[in-house]
Amino acid sequence: MSERRDLQAQFERILSEHGAAISRLAFGYETVASVREELVQDIALAIWQALAHFRGDCSERTFVYRIAHNRGLSHVWKRRPPHQPLEEMEESDQPIDPRPHPEEQAAQTNQRARLMSAIQSLPVAHRQMIVLMLEGLSHAQVAEVLGITENNVAVRLNRARNMLKDALGERP
Amino acid sequence: MTEDRELDIWREQWSNVAEPPAGFQRKVLQRIKRQERRFVLGNVLSVIAFLGILVFAWVMRHQSSWMGTGWPISVCVLVFIAAGIRIWVLRRTWRPETQSTRAFVELWRKRVAARIQLLRISLYLSIGWLIFCAALMAVNWPIIGQDARAHPKEWVALLIVCVLMQPVLLWYGAGWLRRRKLAELNEVTKILNEMDRIDVS
Repeated sequence: MSERRDLQAQFERILSEHGAAISRLAFGYETVASVREELVQDIALAIWQALAHFRGDCSERTFVYRIAHNRGLSHVWKRRPPHQPLEEMEESDQPIDPRPHPEEQAAQTNQRARLMSAIQSLPVAHRQMIVLMLEGLSHAQVAEVLGITENNVAVRLNRARNMLKDALGERP
Repeated sequence: MTEDRELDIWREQWSNVAEPPAGFQRKVLQRIKRQERRFVLGNVLSVIAFLGILVFAWVMRHQSSWMGTGWPISVCVLVFIAAGIRIWVLRRTWRPETQSTRAFVELWRKRVAARIQLLRISLYLSIGWLIFCAALMAVNWPIIGQDARAHPKEWVALLIVCVLMQPVLLWYGAGWLRRRKLAELNEVTKILNEMDRIDVS
């Protein structure tokens, strides 16, 4: 009984610490807010199911990201939504920015929406790479999450980054 | 713009993308409770159904024909065989979430292939079941025949339900599921190929 209580405490701590990251990762896989909320819950549920078997052979962060990406991947298969163009991005998806100037706020929201739209237009493998890079994972951690070598991470990352620039229209 | 400055800007934009939905933790904990209750209920119902069939077979043991004991016992045997085959075919395809993405996709592919194999075995098993039922009927025909002649309409209806429902439910249903699983297999193979292509190029 106390083992379960410990597990639940650990789970709640993981959700508090990594909840925002899980939501961001879900953003990479789903554009519709209500479905994304479901996906976030699915990821959390998968973490709960796997937590009892977590023996600390990788960092907790890597563990969470692995599960989140794997769930995201199965979600892409289940949903297979067409890439949502920028103009269809929901206003409600964007958190309210506390900046005082409405024009600045609008510009920032627009940039964010562009970035999101560009990420979502990438192939799944590149998308994962970009998302992990934006989350600030080291090459070693990315390699651990994706199951590839560190050298491979560097090559893929460069390619994914160029693709993102293309999608954003930032490359000549 | 230098690469790192560009990365910083992207990271800043990305970090503001989303916050967990309101009441996220509470909703997740509620879902966990619901899922655990469903799991327990499912197990209890399965045990009750299995015991029910056994009790039915026990009650029917004094019937003069094979039909009384043969049918429920054969259902039990069928359940055992089906469960055994399912466990065997789907072995080592559980709990893939904690593995790296590559291992997860490989396991996913293996799991889908196992499900397709399971569907094929189910189809053979259902044909075997039909043959078994036909043999059981043939052996018991002296008793069944009398009853069939006395109540022809009921027997025709029973025959239609038993013989026609199986192809409709199993074969069409299994066919639909198989097409779905094949599409999933194609998709997973595509993801794996995409990963290989990236690695090679």
